[in-house]
Amino acid sequence: MKDCDRDRRRLLRLLVAAPAAAAAAVGAAAVGAARAAGKSGAAGAAAIPGPAPSPRSAPARAVVARGRRDGLLDESGAIDRARLDDLLGAVVARAAATATPVAAMKRLFRPSDVVGLKVNALAGGGPAPTPALVGRLCDWLQEAGVPARNIVVFDRTDRELTGAGFTINRGPTGVRCFGTNQEYDWTPREWGPGGSCFAKILVDDITALINVGALKDHDLAGVSVGLKNWYGVIHNPNKHHDDGCQPFIPHLAAYPLIGDRLRLTVIDGTRAQCHGGPARSPRWIWPWQGVIASTDPVAVDAVGWAMIETRRREVGLPSLAASKREPRYIATAASLGLGVADMKKIAIEEI
Amino acid sequence: MDAARRDVLRALMASGCAAGLGGVTGLGALGSPCPVFAQDEAVGPAIAAPGTSDLPLTPARWWKALDEGRVECGLCPKKCRVADLERGACGVRENRGGKYFTLVHSRPCSLNLDPIEKKPLYHVLPGTASLSLATPGCNLQCRFCQNWEIAQARPEQVPTFVLTPAQAAALAVQRRAPTIACTYTEPVVYAEYVHDIAVAARKANVRTVMVSNGAIMEEPLDDLMGVLAAVKIDLKAYTEKFYKEVCGGELKPVLDTLRRLKKKGMWIEIVVLVIPTLNDGEEEARGLARFVRGDLGPEVPVHFTRFHPAYRIQNLPRTPVATLERARDIAMAEGLQFVYVGNVAGHPGNHTYCPGCGEMLIRRVGLAVTDIRLTAGRCPKCRRAIPGIWSVA
Repeated sequence: MKDCDRDRRRLLRLLVAAPAAAAAAVGAAAVGAARAAGKSGAAGAAAIPGPAPSPRSAPARAVVARGRRDGLLDESGAIDRARLDDLLGAVVARAAATATPVAAMKRLFRPSDVVGLKVNALAGGGPAPTPALVGRLCDWLQEAGVPARNIVVFDRTDRELTGAGFTINRGPTGVRCFGTNQEYDWTPREWGPGGSCFAKILVDDITALINVGALKDHDLAGVSVGLKNWYGVIHNPNKHHDDGCQPFIPHLAAYPLIGDRLRLTVIDGTRAQCHGGPARSPRWIWPWQGVIASTDPVAVDAVGWAMIETRRREVGLPSLAASKREPRYIATAASLGLGVADMKKIAIEEI
Repeated sequence: MDAARRDVLRALMASGCAAGLGGVTGLGALGSPCPVFAQDEAVGPAIAAPGTSDLPLTPARWWKALDEGRVECGLCPKKCRVADLERGACGVRENRGGKYFTLVHSRPCSLNLDPIEKKPLYHVLPGTASLSLATPGCNLQCRFCQNWEIAQARPEQVPTFVLTPAQAAALAVQRRAPTIACTYTEPVVYAEYVHDIAVAARKANVRTVMVSNGAIMEEPLDDLMGVLAAVKIDLKAYTEKFYKEVCGGELKPVLDTLRRLKKKGMWIEIVVLVIPTLNDGEEEARGLARFVRGDLGPEVPVHFTRFHPAYRIQNLPRTPVATLERARDIAMAEGLQFVYVGNVAGHPGNHTYCPGCGEMLIRRVGLAVTDIRLTAGRCPKCRRAIPGIWSVA
């Protein structure tokens, strides 16, 4: 081998190594700068190019189980747990086409799953999932073989969860329950028209989801039933409120971290709200005392929207369309193949 | 040729400091005779944060009540209509029971002593340090955001600490910084804090400058103009399409802000981050230059700066230097007098030249000023007055 060849190779190696060293120095500087700026997470993390969801094959029909019980709320506003047990169990079982709620959980989840229950606790004390309902879902999951430690009840903040009556548990035993607003996977992910960092627990831990939503009006989106609840898993929901949250809500729901893991949607309609949402607005709350559930996340929203419109008519409010707040995102979700929005194709099984 | 080589070496040294290799004396450590007028302390130990705290609720200014407990924000052109317990697009202002609050007043997340060249404000006290701070939040959502970890976050997602306006002013005095810069994220979203800092700083004979995207309504802008000394505006592009698709905003209100700032006599500089294929067209540069010359004046400095992949744009390369040079050439051919190339250390376009005789007036390498030849704000050769803020007094 000639000396000049060796020298040339050495030079090439140096040239190749130099950018790497420079990159390392720049990386160190970036991390230092990020720390100096009080940032958390990976500085300069690459954005994961995100697909606009490829249309799925839309289901032809959907089944939504729905039921209500007079006396679910007693005169003091407390929940009658026996009635809730009976009602919720029947609705969940019917939604999964099984005989019992435990059988439903066995059908939808594996014992090895880490099951996340995303609750919408913003309007605690009003139209929001109650700890009693969420607790029974957790019980049945455990009876179906999912260890308590592998069940996670979560929303954005501890404050909202405690405001809705939940007890925070970040401890080593029992069902976990906590807010995720300070624990994101700081890697921006594209999800079609939007881009966000997702709750770390969803990225790293959860393998299956139950969406536990409310039945309520939403000032921007029109309604907040099930699909809107997913705004609570991203770090920047406030960046996706334009144009009635359309088309952001369905694209977010279609993102694989959510869309591929969602097994069941349960809507706590113990107290529902037809106007003035998403926060609690006592004037517009009515004690519907019911539950809706389905494995079709779009059909649940379509049914919930129809119920809110009915209530609005009953109390003399204009329709959401007339108020320019029609939840157009539900039809978009159907067009993405996430479920059925056409009420004619939704079988509502009353319990 | 030798001079250029020296510049590059100095720039490399400066980068070394930035990477934590030096960080105290910069070029002086090697015995270079070149003075360093301002040392970037953004890396190394930052100014110690006094301690974290829960988010406070401070009444917001510039909003109005709507029906049924909703509010309409009057701070920026988005005019968010916000229901109870919801926040505006900025993520830092919240409706609580029909009243609007800011969650970030006196709660910055970043605090550093920067060269003012880092803003960049090239015509404001060059070579001096600027106490620079930011709270979380922004009213835009630029896909290329360079500080997205704090700008695109909500305040509870980022560690913050207490720093009152009076404390900020005292710290600037202590650190001998003649300016406080509200920067890094978007000062418009913490406008109340900016205003109160500027008032406190003025009492301490410290000026306040703002580095902003310019998306702000007239009333808060007028209030801020009464207390600020200079404003740098990030003009993201010169097309509505770019603003809508890449930033989630609008161009027109930003142009209106620039006109209003100029009309009221505020010192302004403009930065355009040139992104390959998105806003690097020659016609766009020409249109922008014509707007600046016609509506603002040829003396307004314009910085064409280099893009680096960040946040949600990772698939585009760094801006070729030739693209920045072409934009600079176009702007100067259109009659702009102070056009700079930014984020390219050692480039001749970093320096300030006299538009009358071409004499180099301020020499820069990276963020360091290595020579100032201005005499009482004038070119030493042809005595032409150079616009800017040159005196601390």
